[in-house]
Amino acid sequence: MAGNSLVLPIVLWGRKAPTHCISAVLLTDDGATVVTGCHDGQICLWDLSVEMEINPRALLFGHTASITCLSKACASSDKQYIVSASESGEMCLWDVSDGRCIEFTKLACTHTGIQFYQFSVGNQREGRLLCHGHYPEILVVDATSLEVLYSLVSKISPDWISSMSIIRSHRTQEDTVVALSVTGILKVWIVTSEISDTQDTEPIFEEESKPIYCQNCQSISFCAFTQRSLLVVCSKYWRLLICPPVTRFFYGCREYFHKLLIQGDSSGRLNIWNISDIADKQERLAMTTSVSLQEAFDKLNPCPAGIIDQLSVIPSSNEPLKVTASVYIPAHGRLVCGREDGSIVIVPATQTAIVQLLQGEHMLRRGWPPHRTLRGHRNKVTCLLYPHQVSARYDQRYLISGGVDFSVIIWDIFSGEMKHIFCVHGGEITQLLVPPENCSARVQHCICSVASDHSVGLLSLREKKCIMLASRHLFPIQVIKWRPSDDYLVVGCSDGSVYVWQMDTGALDRCVMGITAVEILNACDEAVPAAVDSLSHPAVNLKQAMTRRSLAALKNMAHHKLQTLATNLLASEASDKGNLPKYSHNSLMVQAIKTNLTDPDIHVLFFDVEALIIQLLTEEASRPNTALISPENLQKASGSSDKGGSFLTGKRAAVLFQQVKETIKENIKEHLLDDEEEDEEIMRQRREESDPEYRSSKSKPLTLLEYNLTMDTAKLFMSCLHAWGLNEVLDEVCLDRLGMLKPHCTVSFGLLSRGGHMSLMLPGYNQPACKLSRGKMEVGRKVPVTEGVGKGTYGVSRAVTTQHLLSIISLANTLMSMTNATFIGDHMKKGPTRPPRPSTPDLSKARGSPPASSNIVQGQIKQGWSQLAAMHCVMLPDLLGLDKFRPPLLEMLARRWQDRCLEVMLR
Amino acid sequence: MATVMAATAAERAVLEEEFRWLLHDEVHAVLRQLQDILKEASLRFTLPSSGTEGPAKQENFILGSCGTDQVKGVLTLQGDALSQADVNLKMPRNNQLLHFAFREDKQWKLQQIQDARNHVSQAIYLLTSRDESYQFKTGAEVLKLMDAVMLQLTRARNRLTTPATLTLPEIAASGLTRMFAPALPSDLLVNVYINLNKLCLTVYQLHALQPNSTKNFRPAGGAVLHSPGAMFEWGSQRLEVSHVHKVECVVPWLNDALVYFTVSLQLCQQLKDKVSVFSSYWSYRPF
Repeated sequence: MAGNSLVLPIVLWGRKAPTHCISAVLLTDDGATVVTGCHDGQICLWDLSVEMEINPRALLFGHTASITCLSKACASSDKQYIVSASESGEMCLWDVSDGRCIEFTKLACTHTGIQFYQFSVGNQREGRLLCHGHYPEILVVDATSLEVLYSLVSKISPDWISSMSIIRSHRTQEDTVVALSVTGILKVWIVTSEISDTQDTEPIFEEESKPIYCQNCQSISFCAFTQRSLLVVCSKYWRLLICPPVTRFFYGCREYFHKLLIQGDSSGRLNIWNISDIADKQERLAMTTSVSLQEAFDKLNPCPAGIIDQLSVIPSSNEPLKVTASVYIPAHGRLVCGREDGSIVIVPATQTAIVQLLQGEHMLRRGWPPHRTLRGHRNKVTCLLYPHQVSARYDQRYLISGGVDFSVIIWDIFSGEMKHIFCVHGGEITQLLVPPENCSARVQHCICSVASDHSVGLLSLREKKCIMLASRHLFPIQVIKWRPSDDYLVVGCSDGSVYVWQMDTGALDRCVMGITAVEILNACDEAVPAAVDSLSHPAVNLKQAMTRRSLAALKNMAHHKLQTLATNLLASEASDKGNLPKYSHNSLMVQAIKTNLTDPDIHVLFFDVEALIIQLLTEEASRPNTALISPENLQKASGSSDKGGSFLTGKRAAVLFQQVKETIKENIKEHLLDDEEEDEEIMRQRREESDPEYRSSKSKPLTLLEYNLTMDTAKLFMSCLHAWGLNEVLDEVCLDRLGMLKPHCTVSFGLLSRGGHMSLMLPGYNQPACKLSRGKMEVGRKVPVTEGVGKGTYGVSRAVTTQHLLSIISLANTLMSMTNATFIGDHMKKGPTRPPRPSTPDLSKARGSPPASSNIVQGQIKQGWSQLAAMHCVMLPDLLGLDKFRPPLLEMLARRWQDRCLEVMLR
Repeated sequence: MATVMAATAAERAVLEEEFRWLLHDEVHAVLRQLQDILKEASLRFTLPSSGTEGPAKQENFILGSCGTDQVKGVLTLQGDALSQADVNLKMPRNNQLLHFAFREDKQWKLQQIQDARNHVSQAIYLLTSRDESYQFKTGAEVLKLMDAVMLQLTRARNRLTTPATLTLPEIAASGLTRMFAPALPSDLLVNVYINLNKLCLTVYQLHALQPNSTKNFRPAGGAVLHSPGAMFEWGSQRLEVSHVHKVECVVPWLNDALVYFTVSLQLCQQLKDKVSVFSSYWSYRPF
């Protein structure tokens, strides 16, 4: 994470484990981690205990296509790196300990096999990855930078390599690469140390090439002892499940010598056989361990929480209704969830996340938090869109939903009314999109719907009719692009064909394939870089997701070049700031992700620590202003002032403002800009108020519950970050004085790394093969709390510790500097009246009046925050034990040194 | 409401029966058909001798363009490799005739053809892994298989329909320029590729840019066919393309192969569509 923003994800997995159809398996050298890659492009890390118990730990996101191979990428024993390659030519280097992406690259060709090998370069041994795949060479890649150094080339009948093996001859001190091509020709290359020294691109030609007449070779291996015989494994038949399971044999030493046969299959199940040395030929070998991702989810107690599980209970079933589509509206802090029964729920995001993650009085209330349910679809809701968020030209009341019942519905989110139903498609709606800005006036008020019958519709929200339906595409639609200047809608299909439609007339202008098709698509990119929407793959592109503010961006990244992702999260955010709608409430982003199209949504809450601090300070600074306005508050305000009553209130406000300005520097400007924009919106609202329809809708405001979004976000975040159970006195202080809440169970955090790669911890990652029986409810509730959050996040890895410590300490310091910053009182009870959009700082009046605005309480709260910060700053290593604690990374801290965040932290 | 439910129940029974038929009979019929088509397609690629039938047969193609006759080429294709090439170039300025041919001992592999062939054989391998006796139990299984097959087929077709975009230095560095006897003059570049069903030969004539030239030097990016005026740096020299000649010839068996790919891709997609219609029914629960 080279960027200067500190974004921490928290995942709500839901009860259904993500689909994990395993395509590659690897056991790390230390024998402690099994790594599996799946057909949807995710990588799962499983902890393997000495007793052969497996527990899934984390899921790594970043690849956009099926994982083709995994290999270790590091020789040293203190760090475990693996490299993964995908069908689309991406290669990633991951740190196994925390799932950080260290390096990534993309080549045009697909690798099907990678082997790690150390070549001698001078006196040093350099790690190299030897890759083969859908190309006739063997590429030698640097194991740290993933750069192609040179290639091994065939002179005689070059062909794709199906398998290879490397051996070092003790006699000649040469490294020999033996490979078998798909047509069954055995080839031998000799890589001498001189060659591997010169890092030029001159290829090495083979020494020998000989046909051995065997096709579809699976693997070849040398006899390491005699170096004379070569074992070639070919397959005639696979035992087939949905897709062939991957089986690999590993041996290694871990306390005792073991030989393991590991199989991963299409249902996300890992089977491990422990093969003892004296293999009994008659006896059928019993499976040692077997676990699937779903089993690991099922045995957890409490069950892994889904974002609106408490609102989705079906009386007849144990399982809650699945959330099938979601969209987050940051301006209102609302999460809109479409469910499998066709209903849509609008719920305050922080409140529902607090219910799922934290213990508190809300547990006693049924149907908490207050929400609104929209009913209209007859079956599963497949996609949701809030067009106003993408472009201000749309009415902010409109929410669009599409379902498997072929219909697209316009809703008024303020009144909950169904405005219109479009039934134009002949298949379930798969995607809803917004046309770019510079389209014709008519198209500008349309949304674009894509359906599984391979049709695309332009649905006018204003005219309430479909103005164009482009159908009869032969293949599923993969990408929609726009040429607004020519009034063209460009449809890219999965077979590579491109259809160009005229939006005004609905005429098919052209249908092309091949280079022309590629050129047309590329030309659209140049014209409108922001209007790209590819929808084939459900994998996550975080960068896009973040920049587009939680649109259905995650489905949209499959065919984008990885280079465009290379710019890190924040750099892109900064550059996009100009052309994207701004939201003051960007400290929390809720993004729904699907690993597979058929899965229910998993919700990831992204907390931007810096934005949260800015928001807290801005709200704090704006508070004395209101005190000035209302004279009766004046007394109180000066009383509660920590600077003593000697200051004039106005002067104090100015001082505070000055502080905030210094702290947030240019950001205050942005906020002021935001204010201006919002003023415009208010103006527009006023105009709209003359509209009777609007007035009637206003009688039922969207705000179902008045609350302070910023404080709620901070409360949720701090409660999840705090290392509970290490210091009982402090825990009491946190609960009683600061208003924090204990988590139900281990919170699944995530880690963002370079180029939009992300690692998300799976529920129960820290429970080695959890043995909690269902009867022990009480124990189940308590044990994970003490073990979970404490050891869990500060003992995972150094990078995680760094980020979490930075976040909690900087936030604690911010809260300490605020007046009466306690979370008590905001919670559950109705707060002061606030406008529907709590984003505007000047409108966000004082929060609920403090319990007792006396200096004593004020001091106690401050003391509480300082204790909290002190514990994480100083006492953590002692409390956790040095063996468990992973100290923060100095270079990551140093990188944040100039950061505003740290200035706050140091004060 | 009750009648609606009853109707759905009867409807469901019929649907289930239909789905069973689809999985047990129709899928295998389609798979057989696909195999036949792809076997036919792979025959077109004249697989190089795996020992028995001797070297692949040679085919001559005369390349020309409808407009001018400045470049003429005769290319000999042997399987996936060019075994001979004769290129005649009439220089536009002085009408001088240049002639180049491949060196006797050299062959130039057309990677596009080999890749396409390998992708097809992988698709066939996937299809043969489920023979008639195999019972499909779920629609998901069929969809997964079709996805894998379609991936290979799309790759195979794309290899032929979208030739690699190369930069001029890449063309200059490629081994093809060193294949000729007599050696190509330094102001000529050649490139051979497959575009759809055609074997294409491009000849670029270059001239050096003067170091003190007032022209704005902007190196050209990658392209299948560079246009006159494209500039690049090679060695220490700055060069500009002055003339581009493109000649091509239809390879009949490539045309057949492309048709087979398209037909089988459509078959796959139709089967997928059929299966997914049912799966959307199954997810339906009346509420």
